[in-house]
Amino acid sequence: MLFLELFLQGIIQGSIYALFAVGLTLVYGLLRILHVAHAGLYTLGGYFGVLVFNSSGSLILGGFVAVLGVGFLGIIIYRLCYEPILNQPPYVPLIASIGLFIAMEELYRILFGSYGVTYTNPPLQEMLPLAGFYLRQGEWVTILVSIVLIGGLTWLSSRTKLGLAWRATVTDPQMAESFGIDPIRVRYFNFFIGSALAGSAGMIVGILNNLVEPTMGSIPSYKALAIIVLGGLGSVRGTLVAALALGVVESYGTIYLGNVLNRDAIAFVFLIIVLMIRPQGMFRGV
Amino acid sequence: MGYEISLLTVMGISIIGSLSLNLITGFCGQVSLGHAAFVGIGAYTASLLTKADTSFFIALLAGTLLAGTFGVMVGLASLRVRHDFLAITTMGVNFVFLGVVRQQEWLGGELGVSSIPDTGLGKLGFLALVLGSVILVALLSLQIRRSWMGYVFEAISEDEDTARMLGLDVSRYKLIAFALGTALAGLSGGLYAHHVRFIFPDSFAFVESITLLAMVVIGGNGSIIGVIIASALLSVLPQWFQFIGDYKLLLYGSLLFIVMRFSPGGLSGLTQSLFPKSKNSFALKENQ
Amino acid sequence: MRLKNILSLILVLFMFLGIAWADTVKVGFNVPLTGFAAADGKSALNGAKLAVKQANETGGINGEKIELVIYDDQASPKEAVPIANRLIEKDGVKVAVSGSYSGSTRAAAGIFQSAGIPYISAYAIHPDITRSGNYVFRTSFMGEVQGRAGALLIGQTMQHKRVVVITLKNDFGKSLAAGFKAEASNFGIKIVNEYEYSIGDRQFGPIVAKVRADKPDAIYASGYFFTAGPLVNQLRSGGVDVPVIGQEGYDGEQFIKIAGAFAEGVIITTSLDRDSNSPIARSFISEYEEFSGNKVDMVSASTHTALKVVVSALRKAGTNNPDAIRKAITQTQLNAATGKISFNKLGEVRKNVEVQIVKDGDWHYHSTIRDQTLLAPPES
Repeated sequence: MLFLELFLQGIIQGSIYALFAVGLTLVYGLLRILHVAHAGLYTLGGYFGVLVFNSSGSLILGGFVAVLGVGFLGIIIYRLCYEPILNQPPYVPLIASIGLFIAMEELYRILFGSYGVTYTNPPLQEMLPLAGFYLRQGEWVTILVSIVLIGGLTWLSSRTKLGLAWRATVTDPQMAESFGIDPIRVRYFNFFIGSALAGSAGMIVGILNNLVEPTMGSIPSYKALAIIVLGGLGSVRGTLVAALALGVVESYGTIYLGNVLNRDAIAFVFLIIVLMIRPQGMFRGV
Repeated sequence: MGYEISLLTVMGISIIGSLSLNLITGFCGQVSLGHAAFVGIGAYTASLLTKADTSFFIALLAGTLLAGTFGVMVGLASLRVRHDFLAITTMGVNFVFLGVVRQQEWLGGELGVSSIPDTGLGKLGFLALVLGSVILVALLSLQIRRSWMGYVFEAISEDEDTARMLGLDVSRYKLIAFALGTALAGLSGGLYAHHVRFIFPDSFAFVESITLLAMVVIGGNGSIIGVIIASALLSVLPQWFQFIGDYKLLLYGSLLFIVMRFSPGGLSGLTQSLFPKSKNSFALKENQ
Repeated sequence: MRLKNILSLILVLFMFLGIAWADTVKVGFNVPLTGFAAADGKSALNGAKLAVKQANETGGINGEKIELVIYDDQASPKEAVPIANRLIEKDGVKVAVSGSYSGSTRAAAGIFQSAGIPYISAYAIHPDITRSGNYVFRTSFMGEVQGRAGALLIGQTMQHKRVVVITLKNDFGKSLAAGFKAEASNFGIKIVNEYEYSIGDRQFGPIVAKVRADKPDAIYASGYFFTAGPLVNQLRSGGVDVPVIGQEGYDGEQFIKIAGAFAEGVIITTSLDRDSNSPIARSFISEYEEFSGNKVDMVSASTHTALKVVVSALRKAGTNNPDAIRKAITQTQLNAATGKISFNKLGEVRKNVEVQIVKDGDWHYHSTIRDQTLLAPPES
């Protein structure tokens, strides 16, 4: 039973990683940029969620603002930050992104305080035993929301025109453009979806912890890089598998390997081992 | 004078660190996001040795050599993976290093290594040593750039596959770049440990790797003078900007972003565009 | 244009500093105002400022006003070294306090010791800080000492025998665990299991699941409000009802805000008694809330005490001679918000451990641990 519980905990953590990392791999797949500032959007999702909930009492409204607001901000970041430097060597957008992320973290600290923000009436905290598993409501919701959102993403990309245009552009930008697909619209769509997912992850984490802090994006920022590489840079499916796998590995690792390596190091050892065996990551990306 | 001396010492140590990364990333084009780990290896080695009564200079040398040895091992990884994969693998190296050090009590664990012995050189003597090392490293970089090795590095940096087709032993030179760069990082680490005289895992965290990379990139990837100036400025910026207090880090992040956004060639790129006629042997290669 | 503005701002600042130079007593203060430690830095700064304000309102130092010379060290040893040099040389402080974490404090302590300037660590935990020399003091508990108190509390006062230890993987958590484990068997405690977590962790699902399976009588968990809050929250919602005992890292209103209703019944070893009858403690608690807009926490209380020690020493020994100031500090017998303060040979503080419990959504008195043999910090 403990074995299964730890597995489930790993899935929950992995789902959060997945929501975050998918956005990152989407950006990489399209533009070859390591979008570190993505973590700043994740944090913002957390803030939107808690601030809207605290002032309105509505979790749904908070969710909307977190997802949509962060999604749009993602587009703005693309326009202002990345578009002008797309043809520079890759370390340029990387450092720019890191600088932006640091600035965002500090801005959050200055605007919302260094102690962080908590939910005045924390939602989804109670236990909800299902199928013999004692998880909190928030944890069940995490799994549900991840399935819905990522399922929605899959549906969007395979069943809608916009999704088709997007996949075409990722596979072969020039060909897609010659077919009349507007690469700019595709990029906006890409950043919107990726950032919206990150925003939702941020809000979920804020609820689970009952704490939104300025620096909450620090750890996901680099861990997600490991995840997307593990999954094969640019492959959404690979990222999903890698995210869930990492969540499970960490879950068992914290309990049984806790005095050998800390959690973050476990992720990277995992990464290095996989990369030495398969240098292109678990799945073929772009 | 003690304040100015300590500022200059910190500056010098940072410059050695970033010049060493410049060999790997600037010259040879291998992005390393884990350079702080090698600084750390040098620091821990040197300080544990001096605490065991080894002579300072021998300890410093040992730190340099050990860092370079580990660097070769990581360099071997760079033969398997490329570009973004390499960047993230090197980031992984940083975290694994930290993870290992945190758990090992004989390395100080979470508490780190304190009471690192005085080198006996005095503040001014130590500064002289640091500045001397800076000059040596800068000259070394210059020499490499002008030599055949520098040519191969640049070829690898521009286009690895073509370089291989031209018959250049790409693997060997990549390893040399890593070995040299990480060894010199170890040197800066040993010096750092004996300046601050207390080290712990957080001193070599991932954020330090980023700082070093930022110094290289803002200097202008590959430009020796650019990297020196950028390191000098960035390393003492927090001290100069004390009066801004609360907004310091915000400024730092914004600065990184603004430089990359508006002058991706860094400082050296900026001077190139302002003074297009100056043909510096330090000048950086054009943006690809 | 912008540069000119900055330059003139600097000029004006220097002018002000120059004017201030003549009539004030400067006390150096390094604190993390930016970066990951900014939350504690804010508390420390407020505690320090309040102490200085209170001292100035009661005559300053024989008529002279005290001025806190504040530098942001980002909790980094690399930044702390030039700051220490600057305080000693440029600002000419004759005494200084660290409102920062262990790394920066340890690095700065060496500098102050070599320069013969007394330096007090308000809450930084590293054991080697006071070992820098006889000019360095600490007004908060060492980790080991507090850990031992935790063992007494759980094994003797509360009579719980099977304990799970959850340890934060940093110097604070590890030294607490070391102290706890050293005394555990003396109080009949059997440590069922120990789990470790990192300072960035907020999701404790796996640990909660495992602890539930372990079925202990009590949990001894180290951490800060931003880790302990989520941990307690998740333990309780995960169905783990046994007592949770923490330490001063929890001490503040933030922990209660995060853990919400689940914070009820959590017990900590700390330095501040919210229900204290001592006028010093009462006035600190109310004045701090008015001054800073936040409720008190351990960091602000400890820093407040450190500054009070400095003020008391300055009033006794005058403001010019660091040796005399140092001597006065060693002779401290002070009533502060965090208890009766005195120092041992190493410069470590001697005081009682206050045990607090969360009742009705706030911290309240539980008990006091007075066993000075158990609580004796090392002498060297």
